[in-house]
Amino acid sequence: MAKILMIHPDKCTGCRNCELACEFVHEGQFRPAATRVQAYSWEREGISVPMLCQQCDDAACVKVCPTGAMHRSTTLANLVDWDERVCIRCKMCTVACPFGNARYDAASSSIFKCDTCQGAPECVTFCPNGALEYVDDTQQVRSRKKAYAAKFKDAFQEVS
Amino acid sequence: MFGWTGTILRVNLTKGKVSREATDVKLAHDYIGARGLGVRIISDEVDPKADALGPDNKLIFAPGPLTGTFAPSAGRFDVITKGPLNGVIAASNSGGSFGPELKYAGYDALIIEGKAAKPSYLWIKDDEVEIRDAAAIWGHTTPDTTDLVRAATDEDAKVACIGPAGEKLALLANIMNEMFRAAGRTGVGAVMGSKNLKAVAVYGNGAVRVADPEAFKAAVMKSRQMIQAHPVGGAGLKAYGTDVLVNILNQIGSLPTRNYQDGYFPTADKVGGESLAAKQLIRPKGCFSCIISCGRVTKVDNPAYQGAGEGPEYETAWSFGPDCGIDDLDAVTKANFLCNEYGIDTISLGSTIACAMELFERGVITAKDTDGVQLTFGNTAAMVEMTRKACTGEGFGAKLAQGSYRLAESYGHPEYSMTCKKQEMPAYDPRGVQGIGLNYATGNRGGCHVRGYTIAVEVLGGAGGMDPRVTEGKPGLDILFQNLTAALDSSGACLFSTFGIGGPELAEMLSAATGVEYSLEEFLKIGERIWNAERLWNLKVGFTAADDTLPERLLKDPIKTGPAKGMVNRLDEMLPGYYQERGWDESGVPTKAKLKELALV
Amino acid sequence: MDVQYFATFRDLAGERARRIDEPPATVGELLQALAGRYGAAFRRAVFDGERLSPIAIILVNGRNVHFTGGLDTPLAPDDQVSIFPMVAGG
Repeated sequence: MAKILMIHPDKCTGCRNCELACEFVHEGQFRPAATRVQAYSWEREGISVPMLCQQCDDAACVKVCPTGAMHRSTTLANLVDWDERVCIRCKMCTVACPFGNARYDAASSSIFKCDTCQGAPECVTFCPNGALEYVDDTQQVRSRKKAYAAKFKDAFQEVS
Repeated sequence: MFGWTGTILRVNLTKGKVSREATDVKLAHDYIGARGLGVRIISDEVDPKADALGPDNKLIFAPGPLTGTFAPSAGRFDVITKGPLNGVIAASNSGGSFGPELKYAGYDALIIEGKAAKPSYLWIKDDEVEIRDAAAIWGHTTPDTTDLVRAATDEDAKVACIGPAGEKLALLANIMNEMFRAAGRTGVGAVMGSKNLKAVAVYGNGAVRVADPEAFKAAVMKSRQMIQAHPVGGAGLKAYGTDVLVNILNQIGSLPTRNYQDGYFPTADKVGGESLAAKQLIRPKGCFSCIISCGRVTKVDNPAYQGAGEGPEYETAWSFGPDCGIDDLDAVTKANFLCNEYGIDTISLGSTIACAMELFERGVITAKDTDGVQLTFGNTAAMVEMTRKACTGEGFGAKLAQGSYRLAESYGHPEYSMTCKKQEMPAYDPRGVQGIGLNYATGNRGGCHVRGYTIAVEVLGGAGGMDPRVTEGKPGLDILFQNLTAALDSSGACLFSTFGIGGPELAEMLSAATGVEYSLEEFLKIGERIWNAERLWNLKVGFTAADDTLPERLLKDPIKTGPAKGMVNRLDEMLPGYYQERGWDESGVPTKAKLKELALV
Repeated sequence: MDVQYFATFRDLAGERARRIDEPPATVGELLQALAGRYGAAFRRAVFDGERLSPIAIILVNGRNVHFTGGLDTPLAPDDQVSIFPMVAGG
């Protein structure tokens, strides 16, 4: 049963609980540079969007990695994992990712990229608004599709 | 240190000097942080007789030890200074993300001293601190200032700034952060303006650590669950915002109407949270680490009052709405947007306009005074026009921006100013709700609801509540709320987390975060200590028991219509008991024994 | 008798207010009748089993019924009843 971390920006309030949870699970402290997920806010528009690794099937970071440190996980579906033992910190992955979701952290000499907390994502637990969802890949967009379909249901109910 | 960063940043604008000092461990233990720490520093370093708008006053930005962690809805900070509106130690609380960013930059407090020679702003990036020229941003609204400062520093910097009102030293001027959050009351914006300081920008790459990560996480998960299970903290505030209170207060007949001339407003529903949700709400918004999301992202399409931003909150909808005899939500929201942009306190300004309306209707002032405007209750266009003028400081607006006490007094009728200790009371009529009246009267910063929010028990209490119409038991209720809130404010938590958790949970999270064992008793005692320290300052400034009172209207003139018709506030039944239970003498002065008990001698 | 609904009760009732020409004798009976009309979700919001829900705010002429006898609070023909969920603060 493969799961996907789905984002719902329409539900994001910009509270950054996801970031705090991510920092804490990885380092046991609250250091903004350590979060793999980031919720960006635009104040005037009142919109916030969480951004994190999309675990691409055909990942640029995997393609470009010279040592295989970036690789598709063989234990967990829908996960591009990072093996720090063979990583040479060349940072090519950070250059290759078109979304900017892989980052080099000098303080810890690591590549930061969402690892879904190995299948138990803390950000999903901590998000108070359902803006992050860890869902079966067959039902990935179900909640959004159905929510929109419900608008038609309401409209039709009124006229029938 | 854990929770705390261990460092305080001090900037002297007169000398252009930046220094750092270690956070005093004993002070941190005994006052926690934020409001408490700020109260202690102001008490120790500023002369109570100092001119609040002079260079000897100090302006402190201080988060709490929980700020910057994932304690639920605990990302707050205080602005602490001698308040120019009334001389008390102002500790104005705000959310957004500015407080956490100060922690990540490495600071438990930022103390600003002196006065810059010319308009300046501060740029703090971890341990790099610059005092920069603000000529290019002086005069701008708070949103524009935020964008301009970020363009000149870092696009992700968090910015706290004043608008034109603070630059003009308006006594109602506030400090805005993240464009729509406010350190609103008591004129803290004017202090910042008096120091020629336009903005503080901060960006931090550091870390906030907790002493016992496992225990902290467990305490946090428990608190989160309790808040999420609470009808207000878990659902109500997100769905409707604070503005849902309009109808509740009106239905119990305690919605102050037309400058507190009455307590019931028949068309209140039009400016309530239900109407807001239906007409103007785009989506909810949450501050840093917040799980409650009471913030409202809103817009007004009506071309007459067109605008976008956040709010209004309940107190704002009340002050520009029913308090002015107005039921036009678009106009009320527009007034709110203007106040945010220009940096002025919505509660006090709305109430001041209401005061002016009463003076006008009574013939004390005329259209000659009000720039030709017919400033009567219910005149929506006039309310918005006067709001705009107060924001820009032009014409009659310049007087409004100084607050209702000075306005009414200047025309020989201070009795029409609905203030306690010169600060405007908010949106709960104490004639219908006895305990909040005691809180207004005894409040250290004057008319204020948040520092002793007995409404939670007297109006919203459900089965566990207390009857708002009785005075029995109210002294104890007020004291408990005042003490608990002082400690809560000082830890960095948001007041709304009390819709779910209380002293025990806060003390538990604080202990696990800091590594200092705070029992519930100790936590409340610290709150009591802070309250008494604020009181001692007020006594030195010249406040006496005579100032622990309400406007005559609320003691003598009964509510005219509605469910609470015929009622007055019976402060005299509550005040003596309050002094006694606080361990103060009959003049409201803390006894030597009480001060010794609190280690305040 | 006028019964007015606020906040989420407007959705639960599907209306903002209802006039009741012959009101029952007590608040409890009124709420039973309303629950019968509006359905299970409404019932759950006002009752906790047989008792008044601790998180419902029922006002009769502006008085919270928790202080006037709860479900036994008597009703008169020209009383005003307001029904709120516990929703907010600030």
